Amino acid sequence: MTTIEKIAPESAAGRPGKSARPALRDRLSRWDVKYSPYLYVAPFFIVFAIVGMFPLLYTAYVSLFHWKIGDDDPSFIGLDNYTALFADDQFWNSVLNTLSIFVLSSGPQIVIAVLLAAMLNMRLRGRTGWRVGILLPYAASLVALSIIFSNLFGPQFGLINNVLEGLGLDRVDWQAGRLPSHFAIALMVNWRWTGYNALIVLAAMQAIPKELQEAAIVDGAGAIRRFVSVTLPLLRPTLIFVVITSTIGGLQIFTEPKLFDAQPGSNNGGSTNQFQTVTLYLYQSAFENFNLGYASAIAWVLFLLIIVIALVNFLVTRRLAQTSGGKKWL
Amino acid sequence: MAVVPQFLRRTGTTTNRIGRPNFLVYGLLIAFILGSIFPFYWSGLVASRDNSVLTDHLPPLLPGGNFFHNAARVFDTVPFWKALGNSLIVAGTVTLTTVLFSSLAGFAFAKLRFRGKNGLFVFIVVTLAVPTQLGIIPLFIAMSKLGWAGGLQAVIVPNLVTAFGVFWMRQYTVDAVPYELIEAARVDGCSMFRIFWNVCLPAVRPAAAVLAMFTFMTSWNDFLWPLIVLDAGNPTIQLALEKLQSGYYVDYSLVLAGTTLATIPILIVFLLLGRQIVAGIMQGAVKG
Amino acid sequence: MRQIRKGVLIAVGLAMTAAVTTACGGSDNAATPAAAGPGEKVELTVATFNQFGYEDLYPEYEALHPNIKITPRKTGDSGQYHQELITKIAAGSGLADIQALEEGHLSDIMDKSSKFNDLSKIGPADANADRWLPWKYDAGKDKNGRLIGYGTDMGPLAMCYRTDLLAAANIPTDAASLSAMFATWDSYFAAGEQYVSKSGGKAWFDSAAQNFNAMVNQLPVGYLDTSDKLTIESNPGIKSAWDKVTNAVAKGESAKLTAFTPESTAGFKASAFATKVCPSWMLGTVKEAAGPENAGKWAVTAAFPGGGGNWGGSYLTVPTQSKHPKEAAELAAWLTAPEQQLKAFKAQGPFPSQVKALASPELQSETNDYFGGVHAGQLFAEQAKKVNKPQYKGPGDGQIQQNVAGPALKSVEQGTSAADAWNQFVAGAKKITK
Repeated sequence: MTTIEKIAPESAAGRPGKSARPALRDRLSRWDVKYSPYLYVAPFFIVFAIVGMFPLLYTAYVSLFHWKIGDDDPSFIGLDNYTALFADDQFWNSVLNTLSIFVLSSGPQIVIAVLLAAMLNMRLRGRTGWRVGILLPYAASLVALSIIFSNLFGPQFGLINNVLEGLGLDRVDWQAGRLPSHFAIALMVNWRWTGYNALIVLAAMQAIPKELQEAAIVDGAGAIRRFVSVTLPLLRPTLIFVVITSTIGGLQIFTEPKLFDAQPGSNNGGSTNQFQTVTLYLYQSAFENFNLGYASAIAWVLFLLIIVIALVNFLVTRRLAQTSGGKKWL
Repeated sequence: MAVVPQFLRRTGTTTNRIGRPNFLVYGLLIAFILGSIFPFYWSGLVASRDNSVLTDHLPPLLPGGNFFHNAARVFDTVPFWKALGNSLIVAGTVTLTTVLFSSLAGFAFAKLRFRGKNGLFVFIVVTLAVPTQLGIIPLFIAMSKLGWAGGLQAVIVPNLVTAFGVFWMRQYTVDAVPYELIEAARVDGCSMFRIFWNVCLPAVRPAAAVLAMFTFMTSWNDFLWPLIVLDAGNPTIQLALEKLQSGYYVDYSLVLAGTTLATIPILIVFLLLGRQIVAGIMQGAVKG
Repeated sequence: MRQIRKGVLIAVGLAMTAAVTTACGGSDNAATPAAAGPGEKVELTVATFNQFGYEDLYPEYEALHPNIKITPRKTGDSGQYHQELITKIAAGSGLADIQALEEGHLSDIMDKSSKFNDLSKIGPADANADRWLPWKYDAGKDKNGRLIGYGTDMGPLAMCYRTDLLAAANIPTDAASLSAMFATWDSYFAAGEQYVSKSGGKAWFDSAAQNFNAMVNQLPVGYLDTSDKLTIESNPGIKSAWDKVTNAVAKGESAKLTAFTPESTAGFKASAFATKVCPSWMLGTVKEAAGPENAGKWAVTAAFPGGGGNWGGSYLTVPTQSKHPKEAAELAAWLTAPEQQLKAFKAQGPFPSQVKALASPELQSETNDYFGGVHAGQLFAEQAKKVNKPQYKGPGDGQIQQNVAGPALKSVEQGTSAADAWNQFVAGAKKITK
């Protein structure tokens, strides 16, 4: 007995009488289980090492210097960029704008996206057509977007104001005031991204077995009840995904406010920075004021801010999706 | 199992007698679609007429006949077909690799056990929060040092696999691929990769289709980085469109004709992939 | 079956990646050899934006110099172009052999002038101070007297006005009246006040920022003095210009449009304003924006408040990143020679800044039908001569004009008080020059 075990020591099942071959296969199999996950996640980390890590470290490094673009000999100033940032009114203004636009856009967007997905999940006619239709805004080229939206929101000759006037209401200078501009930008953002998020939720909804829904119908649950008690809890991983990515995307909003500005190509976020977001301020500091060190500090502070808020949203979503599923759907 | 006979269903707020969506649903959807499509319709209007439409008090309702004339001008002014080809190569490659590698990593994070799994995953999600605007400068330095600056590889390699893709596929795979199936495949002696290929991939097809659409579109519309890193003779479609804006006075109908033309390939990709967002392949497998 | 098809897909994808990585050639800088012997082809890249009119000139030069191959890089939008330029300076690679540079961004480059070659040293001898108008040539020099750029075009200022709108408001438009009306900024704004009341509230000019920029450019000292200190608070000229313009806005003289936007085009079509500050390159914009229905209604006069001025114009520079600086400088000098600049003018309209070109008969006889057949070439050539004192533009000058003054004036047009907007203006300028 001991001899047999010595001959085939690797045989995990301990089957006596086997030769070395299955032992190798067992070993390969165990290696497969143990190491293949690392192989599978490796591509991301390899690409990241080349194109993600270096920019990250570079930005962190630069933020500790008084580094102007084209500077050959920047001076080390430690955390001075960061302290200056916290005393900077324009920075806090941009944080306020970012949070305001974020709330105005992401909140309604997620709700509408989930409702849209629920509707698209039904037995509609021409399903593919509807799905393509809601994603169409995301396909718009940025060049076209700036022309379209500046024409929609133009204060004097814009389409929306013309319609408002036609209805007997006042014209609104969308680009002038803080709140009107936030509404307009939130509208742009929602127009562009709601369909995107709806499709994500839809894909997840499609994975929910129909039998669960049918059983609920048999038990007498109406559509809304079914939705809240059956669908939502099963969507939890996807909802978490949508909330986190929307939070991150929403706090990093850059394209829409930049395209919205009356002055083309401006990074100012309006004549009094009324809709300048943090990323716009970052971009302005780097490419207009040529202050690379300061811009890098802004980038890192924004990063920390996003992590904090995303974490909060994540915990809230996890809790919400939990309690709604706590009750049985009956 | 419980296939509900149609006569048992109630007429609900959103469904009619036979369980199909009622007018409320269709109405809401139509309203949403109209809002989504309107800017495209309007830009098509301008592209098929001329600039004067921009300034009309209320836009005309019907397209004019100028589109083909404007389109011809687009082809003359910029290297449209070459840029289109470049964009197809870039977007196509990036989409294929992103979907493949993201599914692979998503499978690993969702279903496999290994040391450091949670830490690595959180790391990936956290990288999403890094603002990318400043990355242009160091990335350009990196690309130059590697000798890739100017060619399409500089646009492809940084996008080969994205944190977004990995995150998304992992969330979807968590629920979509039941453990029982994987166990069954293991017992049958499948290697990890075969399990991924034969069990996981078919189950996550809808999510993969969605990811493919998003990745293709994001790559297609990418502007800032290709502008910096690509050679003038090697543009992608967005860069070619940008050239339509030269001159102090911009011919908006020309620009919008160009963007309309550039959106057509995306529509084709949509239609092809849109039908894939249908699950149900693995639904019955566990029960059986 | 399905497995095989999927496998094929993946293989195709990987093959494409491989093909792209190997086949698509590397960067333009890395591969080119540093020194080209006789008979070897030298490739020069020329980066421009907007419309320089060089398309036909490149083959002409290549025919004259068979060993040179020119690869143009054209970007549509000036803003994008300059952002790319700055990024590549920061990255230390990727610039073309010849990079165009707009006047507004010249000040951004001057404190990085060590990254550009001194063209007076490496360029041909005949590309010297005699070729250009003195102020144009001098503006291309950095603090140490190194010549960073060869001048290409310029934008001499004149005043465009709507003959029909002024006539409808009973304002005389004969030459003498125009001279009197547009003699100084005070008389210009006063005439505007008259126009507003006589026309029942129509606007006199399109945008406050356009006038303000013209006024500031005429001052002896601009936003920064020669020691690169911000003068905004001590410079009486800037404050007085600000006050005049904001008063005019308060009196309803501004149509509150932003230049180069669809709204501005709409404003032209809607005849929203009666006069406009017009550099030479603006004529084409007016023609396109106002459209054929307004042909002959716009006119241009040499009477310009404060005499004259310049807005716009570019330079050709040769960055130190270039591997063939001498050949690049020769090409740049050839492109900016009077003969070539005239050809570019005929092709796309950039107005020459070279002395011989300004005096040439082709330029002098150039007429503009849209503006009522006026001898536009002669008019602007005369205006060009009136620009004599170059204003020193320190680092950040262009930024202040574009990104601080512009928005501050816009906010006044949107309703902010002039005093608040002034504070914003000062604060913004200080931030840039910190």
